[in-house]
Amino acid sequence: MTIIKTWFGEIELHNDEIVHSNVLKADADAIAMRLQEEEFADLDKQYRGRLRQMAIQLGVVTSEEDYISLLRTVAIKRAKEQIAAAFARPDARIMQLIGGIDDIDESINLLSERLLEWDILEFEISRTSDLAETHAPQSTTYPALKHEFAESIERLSEMRKKTAGAIELEMHAIAPNLSSLAGELLGARLIARAGGLESLARMPASKIQVMGASKALFKHLQFGAKPPKHGLIFQHPLIRGSPLNKRGKIARTMAAKLAIAARIDFYSKKAYPELVAQMEKRARELSKPAIREQV
Amino acid sequence: MTVRPHKVAGVFMLDSHLATKGEAIYGEKVFGEYRLWSPQRSKLAALLKKEENVPLRPEQIVLYLGAASGTTVSHLTNIVSLVYAVEFAPRVARDLVRMSEHFKNVVPIIADALQPDYGHIVELADFLYQDIAQPTQAEIALTNAEMFLRTGGYACIMIKARSIDVTAKPKAVYKREVKKLEELLDIMCVHELEPFYKAHAAVIARLA
Repeated sequence: MTIIKTWFGEIELHNDEIVHSNVLKADADAIAMRLQEEEFADLDKQYRGRLRQMAIQLGVVTSEEDYISLLRTVAIKRAKEQIAAAFARPDARIMQLIGGIDDIDESINLLSERLLEWDILEFEISRTSDLAETHAPQSTTYPALKHEFAESIERLSEMRKKTAGAIELEMHAIAPNLSSLAGELLGARLIARAGGLESLARMPASKIQVMGASKALFKHLQFGAKPPKHGLIFQHPLIRGSPLNKRGKIARTMAAKLAIAARIDFYSKKAYPELVAQMEKRARELSKPAIREQV
Repeated sequence: MTVRPHKVAGVFMLDSHLATKGEAIYGEKVFGEYRLWSPQRSKLAALLKKEENVPLRPEQIVLYLGAASGTTVSHLTNIVSLVYAVEFAPRVARDLVRMSEHFKNVVPIIADALQPDYGHIVELADFLYQDIAQPTQAEIALTNAEMFLRTGGYACIMIKARSIDVTAKPKAVYKREVKKLEELLDIMCVHELEPFYKAHAAVIARLA
């Protein structure tokens, strides 16, 4: 006696003959629901080759075309549910927001550079009255246009502030420890680069340490260049603000603490303020000159 | 322009361009009833352009791992009878599902091919096609061939050397991967996909 569980129902076989079955007949909604709710085990290969025939025999469908058509309808339904669920993850929004910040920064830089060049041109022309007359702009909208350009930059920086504010709120909710240790923006960046809070929580500290420095890392692995000390986490003031020769050590500790923070955040969400204190203490120890060891 | 059938039934050569017959779906160029199939966008097209002896047949059921947004799948549906298209990443799976709605013979599945949980859905397959750029891609192919490929069925596995070991020479990586695949499959041939894809090779194999 064998019981097999297929997408269209359960089938009981005895000596390869169907003796009992519980199948859902051509009801795509009910089948999709069952696929979501129940657990399924692997099917033996000998039955896998007979799925179509069994479905027809049991009256689930009337022909092979019907079989494919029903299965396809069910699969599309199920896939759409899975996609919706994947997008509903709390860290998905944070990843979009951080991407938004990067886009805004890039835009601001581009527009600012343009405006600067523009200003230089105007300034140089205006220094000589002869030139100012012969090179006067033809369009009367010219000054307004320039002003609008500047306004856009200002609007973008307003938008950046709002986006950063939104990230802070989202980060406090889903990653309190990462937020207090790394800061909300850097924390969000780490999540985004890892591909989600879960991926970050499962990452070894050594990977977190060099995340964002992959070019340097592969140069190291491939050609034996010096290994990178830090990737994204360089942005942290404790690392950036430390003496050059201590940064590697501090980055290592920082990465280890960040790994712990991400794990607490993903698996329990409890705030654990000691992490920050430990990190600061260790950074102080490391930053001290080494003379004391001679005493 | 001259049209001649490719050795694989359902595939055509329009001068030197590869094409299948069907409705255009992702913005590809169309000539009459033919949709051009660019080797720049599809590793299978690159393979078919370099090698005409690929064991794809009209009646086959194909299990496709790593379907992405479904560009290659859409051409494959013009060639074989049914494609089970597995993709893990929700962002591209969205395009895949949208594409599946246009074809009567695509079953989209969102799942991790490394831990196949589609055992209750997928039938016995005649052809396993895999385009997954992962260090564990040989393992994925073996697991799925063991579960889903019928005896005598074929497998085509696209190896991206850079995803397995960036520090090693591509040829050495192919060799290592082929060795792993040989545990279960009989290797028929290995084709490098240059100049269309750098450091990629297609392995064609058979389950004895």
